[in-house]
Amino acid sequence: MSKILEVKNLNTSFFTHLGEVKAVRGNTFSLEKGDILGIVGESGSGKSVTALSIMGLIEHPGRIVSGEVVFNGEVISTKSNKEMSSIRGSEISMIFQDPMTSLNPVFTIENLMMEVIMRHQKVSKSKAREIAIEKLRMVGIPEPEKRIKSYPHEFSGGMRQRAMIATALSCNPKLLIADEPTTALDVTIQAQILEILRKLATEIDTSIMIITHDLGVIAETCKNLIVMYGGMIMEKGTVDEIFHSPQHPYTLGLMNSVPKLHQKEKSRLIPIPGSPPDLMNPPKGCPFSPRCPYAMSICREEMAPAYRIGPTHTSACWMLHQDAPQTEVFKKGCEVDAG
Amino acid sequence: MADNRFRFLESKFEDAEVSRPSLTYWQDAWRRLKKHKPAMFGVVVIAIIVFFGVFGPMLSKYSYSDQNNDFKNLPPRLEIFTVADGINLHLSEDYNMFLVSDKGEILKRLDQNKKKKDVVNKLYYYVIDDATGEEVILDFSYNLLKDKQGYDYDFTIEHKGVVFKYPTGKVFNKTNIFGTDDLGRDILTRVMYGARISLLVAVIATVVNLLIGVVYGSVSGYEGGKVDEAMMRVVDIINSIPLMLYVILLMVWIPKSDGLGNIIIALSSVYWVSMARLVRGQMLSLKEQEFVLAARVIGVPKIKIIFRHLIPNAMGPIIVSMTMMIPTAVFTEAFLSFVGLGVSAPQASWGTLANNALPGLITYPYQLFFPALAIAITMLAFNFLGDGLRDALDPRLRKG
Amino acid sequence: MGSISYYVRRVVSSLLTIVLIATVTFLMMHSIPGGPFSREKAVPAEILKSLNEKYNLDAPLHEQYVDYMYRLFIKFDFGPSFSIIGTSVNQLIDSGKDASLKIGLYASIVIILLGIPLGIISALKQNKPIDYAVMFMATLGVTIPSFVVATLIIYFFAGKLGWIPTFGLEDPRGYIGPVVALAGYSLSFVSRLTRSSMLEVLRQDYIRTARANGISEFKVIAKHAVKNALIPVVTYIGPMIAALLTGSFVVEKIFAIPGMGRYFVVSVGNRDYTTIMGMTILYSAFYIVTILLVDIAYGFIDPRIRLGKE
Repeated sequence: MSKILEVKNLNTSFFTHLGEVKAVRGNTFSLEKGDILGIVGESGSGKSVTALSIMGLIEHPGRIVSGEVVFNGEVISTKSNKEMSSIRGSEISMIFQDPMTSLNPVFTIENLMMEVIMRHQKVSKSKAREIAIEKLRMVGIPEPEKRIKSYPHEFSGGMRQRAMIATALSCNPKLLIADEPTTALDVTIQAQILEILRKLATEIDTSIMIITHDLGVIAETCKNLIVMYGGMIMEKGTVDEIFHSPQHPYTLGLMNSVPKLHQKEKSRLIPIPGSPPDLMNPPKGCPFSPRCPYAMSICREEMAPAYRIGPTHTSACWMLHQDAPQTEVFKKGCEVDAG
Repeated sequence: MADNRFRFLESKFEDAEVSRPSLTYWQDAWRRLKKHKPAMFGVVVIAIIVFFGVFGPMLSKYSYSDQNNDFKNLPPRLEIFTVADGINLHLSEDYNMFLVSDKGEILKRLDQNKKKKDVVNKLYYYVIDDATGEEVILDFSYNLLKDKQGYDYDFTIEHKGVVFKYPTGKVFNKTNIFGTDDLGRDILTRVMYGARISLLVAVIATVVNLLIGVVYGSVSGYEGGKVDEAMMRVVDIINSIPLMLYVILLMVWIPKSDGLGNIIIALSSVYWVSMARLVRGQMLSLKEQEFVLAARVIGVPKIKIIFRHLIPNAMGPIIVSMTMMIPTAVFTEAFLSFVGLGVSAPQASWGTLANNALPGLITYPYQLFFPALAIAITMLAFNFLGDGLRDALDPRLRKG
Repeated sequence: MGSISYYVRRVVSSLLTIVLIATVTFLMMHSIPGGPFSREKAVPAEILKSLNEKYNLDAPLHEQYVDYMYRLFIKFDFGPSFSIIGTSVNQLIDSGKDASLKIGLYASIVIILLGIPLGIISALKQNKPIDYAVMFMATLGVTIPSFVVATLIIYFFAGKLGWIPTFGLEDPRGYIGPVVALAGYSLSFVSRLTRSSMLEVLRQDYIRTARANGISEFKVIAKHAVKNALIPVVTYIGPMIAALLTGSFVVEKIFAIPGMGRYFVVSVGNRDYTTIMGMTILYSAFYIVTILLVDIAYGFIDPRIRLGKE
C-alpha cells in the first residue's frame, strides 16, 4: 500500500489585525490509498483548516506558514493557485457541510456539473452530460436525466448533498475530502450519505478523508482516526484501537460525552468542562491542559511528544510518560514515536 | 526521585473562561459604535450642526431676515486695494465701493460724489471722508477698451494721484463671514437658520413616518393572514408609484400656508411605507419566537405584546433605518425647495438658499457654496452614523 | 404553468394600480379650489371653454370622471394645458419627451456600464487604494444633491473652463453636464451596492465549492459570483431607470433643457393643474410599466423567484 496523502509538520495561521491566530500547529499525518480517514474534534480544533490547507484554499489573511502537503508523491503545498485549480476537482475533491448554501443557487445542476467536467476532461458537451447523469445515478438520484435540469432550490437537503458528491466525484478524484458531510442533514439521510461515500470509495477507488465532530460517523465509516484539539493532533490510530482503548484524556472525554446504545448500566453523559482554547493566545504546553482532569504541572509547560502505543496508534499525552502517575486507563511508559 | 513535574495539579480546572463583564445589547452596541470612527465623526458633526441650528441664529448679531441693501452680495473673501495706511477699498461685483478695515471688517459703503461723475469717460468719484472731502477715482474706461488694447484689468483706482491697477491684497470678510446675499442678508445666519428649518422638517417627518410605519407594520405583521395581505397590498401600491411625484402633488394640493407645515405633511404621508415593510418583516420572524408564545399563554393583551415585547426587539433595524431617513428627508426637502415648493420667504431652508443662489451662480458662487456644503456635510454625517449603527446594531453581523 | 399566471396577475395588478393612481390624482385635483374641474376661481375663458367641451364641467362628478378616464385610457388625451393657452398637455409631453428620454437613457447606460464594474473591482481589491478611491467618490456622490452637482458643473466646466455649453442640447457636448448630474447619485449608489453585494457573495459557501471544484479564478468571479451579486443590483436598477427616464426635473431646470421634467416643474410653479395631473399619471404609468418589465427580466437572473412565490 502506498500513501496517497502525506501532511508533514503543517502550520497554518490567520493574520488578523488583532494578531496571529494559529489554527493548525505542527500536524503530521498520512492517508493510505483506498483508506477512509476520519478527523474528529470540536469546532475550532483546526480540522477544517487542515482540509482547506490541503486543498490550497486558505484565503487571506490566512496562509500556510510551514510544512508541506504531499499528494500522490508530489509536493502540492508550494503550487500556485492556478496549478492547484487543475488538481482541485479532478485529483482532489471536497464537499462541504451545508448543502443548502454550498451549491450556487442561480445555475442548474447540469450547468454546475458540466462546467466541472469540461474544466478537467477533454470531452464534448454531450459526453459531459452523459458523465454527469451517470454520476447522479451513482449517488442515488432518481431519474437523473430529468432532475439534472433542476436548480438547487428544487432539491431537498439530502438530494443537494448527493448532487454535491456527484459533482465532486465527476472526474474520479483520487482523494475526496468531506468536511462535515452529514452535519446539516436528518439522521436517516446521514446514514444514506455515509453509505454512498463508503460504496463509492470502493467503486471508483477514491481515498476519503472525513472531517466531523460526530464519533458516530467515524465509527460507521472510517478505518483510521485522528483526534484534533486546539490545532494539534492529540491521538492517532485505527478506529478499533482508539475506540477500545483511548489513550488521550481528550479522546476519553469525547467518548464519555456521547450516548452509547449498548450500555448495560445507566450512566450519565459526562461533558468536558470549560471551552476550547483561544487560538490567539493558546495556553502554554498542552492546549487541553486547562480542561484536563489528568493535568500535571508539566502539561502547562510543554506539549507532550507523540507516544507510540501500538504499530498504528500514537497519543500526545504526558500520562504516557514513564514518570507519570499510574492509572487504569493510560499505558504508562511508552516510547516516543520516532516520526 | 520521581520528577515533580509529573504530579497531578491540585486545582484541576483553570477558569478557562476569561470573565468579561456581561453587557446588555445596548451597552454592547454603544461599545461597538464608539469604535466605529466614521460614525463617531458623524455624531460629532451632527451635534455641531444641531448646536448651530438651535443656538446659532440667537448668537448671531444678524437676523435671518435682516436686509441691508448697502451690503449686498459681499463675498466671504474680499479683494482690497490698500490706497493708504488704514484705507482699504473693496469694489464689489455690483460696483459698490466699500471701506474695509485692516482686519477685514466692512466699515461703510462709500458714497459717490454724483456731481463729479463723468459718464462719458466712465470716471466715478467716491468720498472716503466727508469732513476732509478725501476721494478716490474709479476709472472704468478700461472696461470698454479691454479687448481692443490688451489691458488685463477692468478698472483702476486713483487715490491722491497714485493709480492702482491690481488689488493689493485679500482679507477675510469679518463682518459677514460667509458673505451676504442679494438682499444683503448674512449668509452664515441664514445657513444656520436653514439648518434649523431643514433639520426640523427632517426630524418631524422622520418621527411621524416612524410612528405610522411602526404601528402599521407591527399590526400587519402581528395579525398576519387577511389583514396582513390587505395592508401590504396598500403598501405595494404606494411603493409602486414614484413618491417624489406624489410629494409634489400633495404640496400642490394642500392649501397654501407658510410651506413648512405642507412639506412636513407631504413627507410624512408617503415615506412611512419602507418603515412599515421593515417592521412587518421583523414582526413576522419575532412573533414565532417562544417568548411571544409564553406571553400569549399567560394572557398578555395583544397591544402589550406588540409594544412591550415585539417592538423593543426590533429596535435595532428600526433605528438604523431611521438614521437613514433623516438625510433622505433633508434631501427631499432641499429638492422640493429647489423646484419652488419649499418654505416661503423670508424663512429659508438649505434648499431655498441654494435655489435663490442659482441665478447669480457665475458671479456669486459662494452664495450657493455654503448651503450646498451644509447639505453635503449633513448627508455625509448621517450616512456615516447610519453605517456605524448598522454595524453596531444589526444582529446578522454580530459575531458568534 | 404557475409562472404564466403569475405574470398575468402582475400585469393586471399593474394596470389596476395605474387606474387607481389616475383616480386619486383626478380626485385630488378636483378638490383644489381653482383646480381644473372646479369653477370657483378665475380660469382663462378659453381654457374653460376647452375643458367644458372635453369634460362637461357642469356635469356631475362621476360623469366628468368617466369622461376623463375615457379620454385618458382610450384616446391617451390629457386635455388642454391650464396655463399655456391653446396648447394641449399632449403637445407639451410630445415636445419634451425626446430630450428627457435621451438624457435618462444615457445616464442609465453610464450608470450600468460604469457603476457595476467599479463596484466589482472595488470588492475584488477590498482595502486597496483603488477601493478607497472608488468608495470615496461614491460616498461623495450619494451625499451631494444632484442640483449641487449640476450647478458645480455649470460653474466650473461651463462657466470657468467653457468646455461645455451652459444650457441646451444643440451641441452634443450639452449632454455631458445633464447626464453626469443625473447619473451621479445612482452611479455612486450602484457601485456601493455592487461592491457590498459582491463582498457578501464572495463569502458564500458556493464560491468555495466552485474553487474546490477547480473552477478557474476568472470564472469563479465572472460567472459564479457576479451573477449572484447582480441580483440586488438589478432590483435597484429597475426603479432607477424608470426614475431617470422620467424624473430629471431639477437637472432639466438647471441646464434649461426643454424636457418633460422642466415642463413639470414649470407647471407646478404656474399651478397648471391639467399638466401636473397628466404628467403625474404619465410618469407613474411609465414607472410602473418599467418596474413590471424589470420584474419579468429579474426572473431570468434568479431562478428562485421564477415560480412566482414571492
